[in-house]
Order: sequence, then C-alpha cells, then structure tokens
Amino acid sequence: MTTPRSNIYQTNVYRKSSDDIWNCLTCGLCYDGCPQGVDYPEFVKEEREGKQQGDLVHKGVFTLLSDLMADLKESKTNLAESGNNDSKIGYYPGCLDFHDMFFDLDVDFKSIADSSMKLLEKMDMSAKMLQLKCCGHDQLWQGDTETFEKLKEQNTKLIKESGIETLVTSCAECYRTLSMDYDLPCEVVHISQLLKNADLGIDSNTDVTCHDACRLGRHMGEYDAPREALSSAGATVTEMAHSKNESWCCGVSTMMSCNDRSKALRKARLDEAKDTEAKVLITSCPKCLAHLNCMKTEQESVENYEFDIKDLTVFLAEQLGGK
Amino acid sequence: MSDFEPDILTFCCNWCSYAGADLAGVSRLQYPTNSRVIRVMCSSRVEPIHILEALKEGTDGILVTGCHIGDCHYIEGNIHTDERMKEIVDALEHLGLRDRLHLEWVSAAEGKKFQETITDFVEKIRALGPNPLKNNKKEE
Ligand code: SF4
Ligand code: FES
Repeated sequence: MTTPRSNIYQTNVYRKSSDDIWNCLTCGLCYDGCPQGVDYPEFVKEEREGKQQGDLVHKGVFTLLSDLMADLKESKTNLAESGNNDSKIGYYPGCLDFHDMFFDLDVDFKSIADSSMKLLEKMDMSAKMLQLKCCGHDQLWQGDTETFEKLKEQNTKLIKESGIETLVTSCAECYRTLSMDYDLPCEVVHISQLLKNADLGIDSNTDVTCHDACRLGRHMGEYDAPREALSSAGATVTEMAHSKNESWCCGVSTMMSCNDRSKALRKARLDEAKDTEAKVLITSCPKCLAHLNCMKTEQESVENYEFDIKDLTVFLAEQLGGK
Repeated sequence: MSDFEPDILTFCCNWCSYAGADLAGVSRLQYPTNSRVIRVMCSSRVEPIHILEALKEGTDGILVTGCHIGDCHYIEGNIHTDERMKEIVDALEHLGLRDRLHLEWVSAAEGKKFQETITDFVEKIRALGPNPLKNNKKEE
C-alpha cells in the first residue's frame, strides 16, 4: 500500500493509476491533518470515476439495488405514507428499509424513521414522509457517476414536485450528498441540527458518548449539533480519545472495504467507547450504526462491550415514549 | 405485446425440485418452454444478489423451488430460503417488481406440480408484461 502523497504523485506526474484509490475510506481524516490542505478524498473520488469498483460489501447488494432504482420509474426507498402531507417540511429516511432487509443485524433501522417523525412532530414541525430514490452517495464514491446523475435528476424532480422548503434527513451520507452534490431549491438539514435547539422535555440522565460520522463531521463540519441535542436532553457526553475532527471512521463509509484493516479500526473505535464508560454510544448515521453494531456482535464471544449503540433520534425518541 | 414471450429463470434444488422437474420430463408432461433451469444444491443457495442481477439483465420472472419444509436435504436450508425470499419480495416491492418472483416447494414426487407451477407462472408473467429493465436496455 502506498501513501496518499505518492498516489497523487504517481497519478499526476506519471499518469499511473493505482489500486490504492480503492483503499481510501474517504473519511477525510488526512485532509483535516494536511498542512497544505490537500483534499485527498476529492482526488480519490475523481480518480475512481468510471473504473471497476473495488471490494463492495455484502456482495454489492446495496449497490445493485441503487442501480436498479436508477432505471425503474416506480421504485422508491420507502413505502410508508405517513406524516402531514401539506407540510412544507419533508423528511427523507434514505435507504433504511433496505438496511433492515439485507444487513442481517439485530438492529431495527426503520425505527430511526419512526423516531425522527415523532421528534419532528414533538418540535411542532410535523413533516411529510418523502418517497424518493436512493440519494446515490455510494454510487458517486464508488465511481459510478452515471448512475449517480440519473438518481440525482429523478430525485431533484421529485423534491421540486413535493413543494417542500426544508428537507430533513437523519442520515449523514444523505445530508452530505443532498447538500453538497445536489443543487436543490430547498434547505437541507440534518435532524440533529433541529434537535439541538429543541425543548423535548426529556431529562435523561444517561452517560453517553458520541461517534462523529465522517460525512456529518469532517465533510459537513457539524460536530456540535448532536452533542448539544444530547446535553439539552439531559445526557452527559463523555468524549472518546478521538473525537470531533479527529474522530475515527467506522471504516465502511461508502459500502466498500469491509476488510481486516477496517475491522481493526472498528474494534479500536469500540475500545475507545468502552474506555469512556458510557452506557450508550450515539451515532448520527445509520451506516455507522450498522457497522459498529456488527463489530460489537462479532466480538461478543471475546470482548464484553456493555454499552448499547444507538442512533441519536432513537435514543431521544425512546425517552419521549416514556412520558 | 402479443408476441411477448417471457424469459423465466427457475432455480431448482438438487434433491427435490430438480428431481421433480426430471419426473415431469420422463412423464412427458407438457409445459411452456420459456423457463431455463438452474440447479443449485439447496434453495438456500439462491442469494438476493442472484435475483437482482437476473432482473437487471432483463429476466421477466424468477421462480425459486425447493424441498417442502421439513424435507430439506440440509435440514433447515429452506427455512432460511423462506425468510430470505420474504425480504427480497419486500425489496422488489420497493422497486415495483414485486410479482416477478415466486417461491414454491416442489418435491421429487411432484412432477405434476412442477408442470403446473411453471405453466401458471409463465401465464402470470405474460399477463404482467415484460420486465421494465429489459425495455430500458433496448432503448439504449
Ligand atoms: S461491518 Fe458488518 S454490516 Fe458493515 S459492511 Fe461489514 S459485515 Fe456489513
Ligand atoms: S435441499 Fe431442497 S431446499 Fe434444501
């Protein structure tokens, strides 16, 4: 394996493309530390364009689903029609339904959508459930720009037709893609940004720790919103050894590279969480939730991680329920 | 539309359904020739990715067959198949392709049932029309 530096050098000077472009997790940690401000993930993204995809996780089923969605007019990521249809606020659940079907984990992903709707309702922002296609984040980062453009075009049209002014998402990847790679006529927010100012009337009194999703944190620069949301709900946030802009990635950021190296990363991340002695590890991205939970289950026989791993919205909404 | 002949893919498990298909053959039962059989060791060998890939390539319908529950050569392979197919049907529902997948248990003794299953499924798909992904391919 080579370094980012030599990779860029080889490509720009000798026009040699290397397999290493598929090893990068595009989490942006190197970008943050680079004194010259070299945006390596962006370089990787461009280099990947049109090339044979690297090692896709779960035999590429998630990628294939999005591919099919790009070509099927009638397809959508969720079937639930709920919420307030006249609302100017739209909630987009992303691919949660597919996570439930194909991740084989003991995690209820759909509850993220339910919790988000419930929290929005509680904040007097009752939203309408948007039925869109996959945002195309993985396609874009896997080098399949053609499919990405198709998805983008159809989604943009659907969003325009829905007439919403604010699009709320609970997924860090959707948030990054819809705000940076799309050109939407409406405002895009991550649900944590609404929750930070909300008075939910919960006093949770739980010790938690916060995992920064690379897409929400380093890509979008939002570190504080999930923490503020947690502390205004009464939870005590203890930081892990690496947090905020130094936070470690869950390792499978674009549904690629679930290998020995990224597993070591997840294991180390869980160890950090364990060291904080928190009861709950909070994520704000369903993908991080999946991959970290997967590692926790895998380690069950050897390592006892006593904390739960939960999505921010689920954590908050559960406590609403108790009231 | 009238000249539409569906392309059907049939997965048969080695121990029951494939023998069932054989029996249909040796008993000279007539059924439409639209389907191609792929033999797998157990119905649980069929993965979501196989079905999605087949649809992507323009297959109009996919039939998965296996031993009756309790008869699987690998004890509970087909119980997993059953669970998995429910998930795939759910996924196909999201994609708008729901009716293009069918699961049926066919034992080695059920040549007749094999014939009927294929015939019914071919008719169902014929009525449904071609796979929209196939049209996409042609337009390009
Ligand atoms: S970490 Fe687990 S859930 Fe994530 S891609 Fe790897 S196997 Fe799948
Ligand atoms: S062997 Fe026939 S279903 Fe398993």
